[in-house]
Amino acid sequence: MTNHRSPSVLGTLFRYEMRMLLRDTRTILIAIVAPLIMFPAYILVVNYVDSREQQALEEETYRYAVSGSRAGWAEGVVKAAIALDESDPDTSRAPVSFEFRNPPDPMGALEAGDIHVVVEGFSAPEWDSIRAEEREAEEEAREEEASGGEAAEADTAHAEEEPSLPAVRILYRGNSDFSEAARTRLRERILEVRATQRDSVLLSSGFPVAMSEVAPVEAESVASAAKASGLFLGLALTPFLVVLMLSGGSIVAVDAICGEKERGTLETLLTTAASRTDIVRAKLLAVIVVGLAVAVINVANLLVYIVLGVLDLPPDFVVEIDPLGLLLLLALLVPVAVLVAAALLLLSGASKSYREYQVFFFPVFVAFVVPSFAAGLPGIDLHSIIAVVPLAGVAVAVKEILVGEIDLPFQAFAFVSTAGLALWLTFKTHWTLSNEKLISGSDLDQADLTGGAALFPRHVLRWFLGLWVLFFLSSLWFGQDLGLRGQVVLNLLVIFFGGSLVMVRRYRLDPVEAYGLRKAHPAAWIAVLLGAPSALLVAFGITELVNTFVFPVPEQLLENFGQELLGPELPLWQLVLFLSVMPGIFEELFFRGILLHGLRRVIRRKWLLALTVGLIFGIFHVSLFRIVPTAWLGFILTWVVLFGGSIYPAMLWHALNNAIATVPATLGWLPEDFEPEAWWALPACLVLAFALWILWRTGPWNGTKGTGERSRGEAGTTRRR
Amino acid sequence: MKTNERTVFVEDLRKTFYDESRGEVKAVDGVTFSCHPGEVFGLLGANGAGKTTTLRMLSTVLKPTGGTASVMGHDVVREPQAVRESLGFYSASTALFPRLTGQETLRFFARINHYPVERLQERVDALISRFGIQEYANARIEKLSTGMKQKVSIARTIAHDPPVLIFDEPTVGLDVLNALEMVKVIRELRAEGKTIIFSSHIMSEVEKLCDRIAIIHRGRLLALGTLASLREATEQHYLEDIFVHYVTRAEGLEAATIGVAGELEEAP
Repeated sequence: MTNHRSPSVLGTLFRYEMRMLLRDTRTILIAIVAPLIMFPAYILVVNYVDSREQQALEEETYRYAVSGSRAGWAEGVVKAAIALDESDPDTSRAPVSFEFRNPPDPMGALEAGDIHVVVEGFSAPEWDSIRAEEREAEEEAREEEASGGEAAEADTAHAEEEPSLPAVRILYRGNSDFSEAARTRLRERILEVRATQRDSVLLSSGFPVAMSEVAPVEAESVASAAKASGLFLGLALTPFLVVLMLSGGSIVAVDAICGEKERGTLETLLTTAASRTDIVRAKLLAVIVVGLAVAVINVANLLVYIVLGVLDLPPDFVVEIDPLGLLLLLALLVPVAVLVAAALLLLSGASKSYREYQVFFFPVFVAFVVPSFAAGLPGIDLHSIIAVVPLAGVAVAVKEILVGEIDLPFQAFAFVSTAGLALWLTFKTHWTLSNEKLISGSDLDQADLTGGAALFPRHVLRWFLGLWVLFFLSSLWFGQDLGLRGQVVLNLLVIFFGGSLVMVRRYRLDPVEAYGLRKAHPAAWIAVLLGAPSALLVAFGITELVNTFVFPVPEQLLENFGQELLGPELPLWQLVLFLSVMPGIFEELFFRGILLHGLRRVIRRKWLLALTVGLIFGIFHVSLFRIVPTAWLGFILTWVVLFGGSIYPAMLWHALNNAIATVPATLGWLPEDFEPEAWWALPACLVLAFALWILWRTGPWNGTKGTGERSRGEAGTTRRR
Repeated sequence: MKTNERTVFVEDLRKTFYDESRGEVKAVDGVTFSCHPGEVFGLLGANGAGKTTTLRMLSTVLKPTGGTASVMGHDVVREPQAVRESLGFYSASTALFPRLTGQETLRFFARINHYPVERLQERVDALISRFGIQEYANARIEKLSTGMKQKVSIARTIAHDPPVLIFDEPTVGLDVLNALEMVKVIRELRAEGKTIIFSSHIMSEVEKLCDRIAIIHRGRLLALGTLASLREATEQHYLEDIFVHYVTRAEGLEAATIGVAGELEEAP
């Protein structure tokens, strides 16, 4: 009996995998052949409709009327503009015909569609008053929105560039293509007419040169056409391929594990002598092959239509790439293909059914497409942390190669990070094949029958997702109207506390357990006094690091944001109540209470648990720039509760943290430009570690090590020494 | 045909699942038995008793939490591939690939179970004629009837001629005639000297087919012996009564244990 992993087994598995896929004619037709036909068909139809519309627009006779106090003058301007259009030597645009109408009520005729445009002529003073009215309306709207600082500035700027010549206004119907076309054509020509008028006025009154010669500005790119096209291609290539490989690979991936699970063939396969490594490899290979095939077929399809002239390339499109660059490009795209395939296969393994795969596919799709656009970030280059971000690094490297920059060490980083993630995902796919729950079928178990508290861990994330949506929408809809205090009350009391009470009631949870309302060791309070300020300093340090190296946030944005956070001027007691005490109590009950209570049975690794609670806490702070510091705070506070066994120290810690972060700055107790130095984080780390050590030493964790918190009785007692 | 050679050996086998809501669940709790060539070993138990979990550990699909198990001398944890190479696993949940033909299915499974390539076609032809599937050997599985699929499925299980065969509730969902056919095939395989583990909750099948019977309940073996020895021990004739006898005794004991523990806890 041989115990080997023969290459022929891998080959057999792969061959049969492909054979089964190719026999699935319906899938092949819908997923591969249909887009090939639909894509050109779509373009042909669009082109046809477009040319028909163009023709109709050109053949139409546009009817216009004039009105206003200077109607006669306006009519003259329009006539000159039409004459200019008719005598234009540029024949690329066919001239269109205009017809003058004189309805008794021009506006009514315009609205009724009897005419296409109305041209109004105004004297200078009239025009001034019209503009003044418009500005007033604008300002009112702006004041309603928020702060007034900018409006005052804009006001004076307007006053200086006030026109004092007769004005022309063109009225049209934005919902009619014909009316729009008439407006566009007429406006261009009127502008030309008016420019000529202006120039002749200026020249006759002694202006020495033609206006077009005054302060000319020209811009010319020194980059070759190839480099410019390279930039365009470089930005588009990675996302384009990723999208194609995701959609193509998904055809096989969905069937590869979760389809087999659903049909019951997975267990048949797992009880054969084929090793799991071979099974995963064969499936991975199939996903890669099909993903690449779909990408290649679609690219070839695109090229065919470009050659046939159905599709137009941007003007001056040239691609130049040297052999080394091409080689590098292909080398960099290999781990991307493997990464996409590995992720899809893992998704397939982790899903219990087709339906679940479909539900999860969209977030995975977004998670891949977003970093693949990394090359489009302004100012990003490979000489940064982006090189080690999987996929994003490759996207930037691909762009740099296409614009002719070769930077081997950083391209190697991009390669390794993406390939590393791909390998890790492949490894995780292995694990899904041995995941007992997924193999041994039934979803329904005791918890579903018992309901209540047993079911809560399984539902807790759903609840938090729902409440997050509620929280997000309510701040979007009512945020402005409620003001800071209203928002705090709505979020903390209604959504957080109210939501948690609903959960407690719905799942019949024990409030003492769910909220962690247990007595704390006296030493815990000392730990809090030491820990809260030091954790805040560490947070500053981390934010500084992140801002400098990972995700540079524009200074202006941070400043604006700081203003927003501090909000309007409130008396001290209100500041403390709304920004410190209430968040301390209710956010802790919500996140370190009920969320932690539910999640601790789902995630058994404590650090992962703390990380998850921290991240969810961060996500609830909505702003992208606050995720890092708030997630850090959430992470630390989770340890405070895990170590100390009680929610109360976490409440004080949280309140202190918020008080230190907001009160002194708002009340002007600190110098204007005060900011903690980043290096303060280092000694602060030590103090923080000491504080956490005190909590650990005096808390129940130390006593129940090994058995964890699974037993309710143990978690409830506070060990004293 | 029966010999005393041990082909399957299971000792103190345990499997504990961790369920996020129920905590630890002991699906298999210290099971010990061994099987011999030319024997049909019956695993009798109610749904959820631990039969399938035990057999999945034997087939290396699941990893044991404790204890040992081996097939043809290969340990299920250390040499899972060698174990799977020496056994064929058939259950209601081991389906066939719908888009392959019967012929391809047999080739595929013989091949990935390391059946020698040079004798592959010979083996496949022999299986096709043995189970009488010539007529539809080149039709796709998805086009076949339940009975036809069942024949291909059994042929698939023994495609690589393994010495040990596991049939986990093989008659579930089959009509009477197909179920009888299954019993007939298992008898033939026994006559060929295969070791067969047969699990079921249907008393009559076990009674008819099994040389030795193990009664499993809540992850534990309550009894193990030939039908005759079980009859003698319980003074019951029908297997159904024997089964009920053991299960009631176990439940009664368990209830008693819980009662005692409860009293202890309440004591000051």
